[in-house]
Amino acid sequence: MDDLELNTLWKEYDLKLEESRVLNLQAWAVNRQTFEWLQTQKVRSRLRPMGVFKGRAVFLGVVWVLFLGMLTVGDHGKHGWFTFSISILFLFNVYAIIAYLRQMALIRQIDYTDHIVETQEKLAALQASTLRTTRILFLQAPFYSTWFWSERLIAGGSLAFWAIAVPVVLLLALGALWLYRNISLANADKKWFRRLFNGIEWSPILRAMEYLKEIDEFRDS
Amino acid sequence: MQDHFLQQIEANKGIIFKISRSFCRSKADQEDLCQEILLRIWKGLPRYDPAYAFTTWVYRVALNVAISWQRQAKKSSGTIPFTETHGEMNIGPDGTHSREYPLEDQHSPMVLLQKHVAALKELEKALMLLYFEEKSYREIAEIMGITETNVATKVNRIKEKLKRAILTDKNLVYGRS
Repeated sequence: MDDLELNTLWKEYDLKLEESRVLNLQAWAVNRQTFEWLQTQKVRSRLRPMGVFKGRAVFLGVVWVLFLGMLTVGDHGKHGWFTFSISILFLFNVYAIIAYLRQMALIRQIDYTDHIVETQEKLAALQASTLRTTRILFLQAPFYSTWFWSERLIAGGSLAFWAIAVPVVLLLALGALWLYRNISLANADKKWFRRLFNGIEWSPILRAMEYLKEIDEFRDS
Repeated sequence: MQDHFLQQIEANKGIIFKISRSFCRSKADQEDLCQEILLRIWKGLPRYDPAYAFTTWVYRVALNVAISWQRQAKKSSGTIPFTETHGEMNIGPDGTHSREYPLEDQHSPMVLLQKHVAALKELEKALMLLYFEEKSYREIAEIMGITETNVATKVNRIKEKLKRAILTDKNLVYGRS
């Protein structure tokens, strides 16, 4: 089988489709009606925005941030550790909301008129960027174990308090740092990674990561 | 401008239609994809650089939209079975089963080629569509955004892969009978 034969086979198929009117070009009229359709305000892309996950995350993030904000403001700085911990959590979540909103805006601005490999890479990278934001969010974990601390608890802290509090904070801090360093495209095939991001909402993001690898291979090989 | 745009689209509708057919399984999806491509062409028109041929630009937009469309379809329904895409060979002009292209045709090299092209990864499929449309390596490189050397290497590699796959399928079918 030579190259010419492959081309002939391809053309032969096109011809058969034309004959059987599957490729019915005549029936597909491009006319003024098409133009009017394109000009109406109602015309919306049927390619669903790929930031659906980010949209949901933003909604939940806003609710969470409002709650944290209310707690901080309501406390009037009476409890130092509480205000400190909640404020840090507040800042992390505000960062995530801003990052997701920015990524959603960039997804909407994707230019389909650019080179194919470049456009597809941008799309996949933006989708996979959720993971970058997530790994930063892991860094807030230790502060979830400090919000209930108080000066009184620290000053008169029993051995039991320190024996539990310190290892928990250390464990969360080390775990968060480890995850921050290891959540990356390079580890996407690892078992722990698959287990951690096992869920329907994560699959498009993992697929986007795989696609990024595919694009890299396509460009380099 | 309106007339000019319509003329340009009319002249290039074959590209849009063929790409839609290659990336979508059902006729309804093909029509939807055609409209989506048309919409993206219309929206992208202000960014069109007349230094490049309009056809090259249309290929770029159409393939970008089609790849994204197929990736979205995969998310919701897994991979696209070949038979649903190309079984239409057996459908006559009136929508009924056609005797003109009997089921045996499904094992012909012509259909096997379509099957194996359909199974390629999205970017490889886009590359081969351009190759089969007899675009030069330079044009393909321009549309895809990779070097001409890379295009040549990939096209040769994929062609070999396709030939091997077709021969294996042929041997499997005819070897048994």
